[in-house]
Amino acid sequence: MSAFLFDRLHEGLGRVLDLRMAQHGLTASNLANAETPQFRARYIPFDRVLASAVDRNRDVELRRTDARHVSAPSEDALQPEVVEIEPVPWAQDGNSVDPERETVRLTENALMFETVSRGLSKRLAMLRYAASDGRSG
Amino acid sequence: MDLIDTFSVAASGLSAQRVRLQAVATNMANARTTRTEEGGPYRRRMPVFEAKVDPFANELDRHLARVEVREIVESDDPPTLVYDPAHPDADAAGYVAYPNVNVLEEMVDLMLTARTYEANTSVVQTTRNLASSAIDLGR
Repeated sequence: MSAFLFDRLHEGLGRVLDLRMAQHGLTASNLANAETPQFRARYIPFDRVLASAVDRNRDVELRRTDARHVSAPSEDALQPEVVEIEPVPWAQDGNSVDPERETVRLTENALMFETVSRGLSKRLAMLRYAASDGRSG
Repeated sequence: MDLIDTFSVAASGLSAQRVRLQAVATNMANARTTRTEEGGPYRRRMPVFEAKVDPFANELDRHLARVEVREIVESDDPPTLVYDPAHPDADAAGYVAYPNVNVLEEMVDLMLTARTYEANTSVVQTTRNLASSAIDLGR
C-alpha cells in the first residue's frame, strides 16, 4: 500500500472499522444467547483499546531503515481484548446478558461504524478530488 | 469474522426463540390435557439452550457463540390434583391429575420469548445497515 496516498490515519480508520465489526458480532452473539444458562456477555472495551493505542504511540516504534523491512502489526487490531461480564449474584441461571444494555451497545456501535466509515469515505473523496486535478468528480 | 457470520448468529437466536415459542404454545394448548400417548397427564415442555462456538474459529471469533436447542425436557413437577369424581380419568379417590402447566408462568415465558426474538431481529436489521454502509465505502 502506498505510504503517500494511504497514511497511518487511513490504516487506523480501517482498523476501527474492523473492531466495530467484531463488536457487532459479539453483540449479536450476546443477544442470541440472551436466554442460554451460564452464558457470559462479552464486549470489546473501546476506551481501553483507544488508551493503549495512544500510549503505544508514545512508546518506541520499530524503525524502518530499509524499504524491505516490514512494520510490526499492532496487536490490538488483530487480537483485541475481549471482556466477559460477570453475572449479577441474583441471576439464577448464571447468564450475564442484559438485553437493554446490549440493544444500546448495538445502536451505539452501528453509529460509530457509520461515523468512521463516513470519515473514511471523505478521505477517499479528497484523494479522488486531488487525483482528478481538482476537478470534482 | 464477517457480517455473514453475524447474520447466522442472529438467525440461530431467532430459531431458538421460535422453538421456545412453540413449546409455550404447546404447553398452553395442553394446559388441561389429561391423556397422552405415554399415559398420564401432559407434562410441561421446555427447550434447553446451549451456546455453540465454532471449534475452527480464530482467536476473536472464538468469543462468538451461536445458540442451539440441545434438547426439549419435560418437567418433573407433580401434576395438579383436582377432585372431580365424574371425570373419566379420575383415580379411585376421585382425583383427576391435570398437567403441571402454570398458565401465568407460560405467559411470562411468552413475553420473554417475544422480547428476545425482537432483539435478534434488530440485530439482523443493524447488520444489514452496516453491510450496506460498508459496501458504500468510498462512494
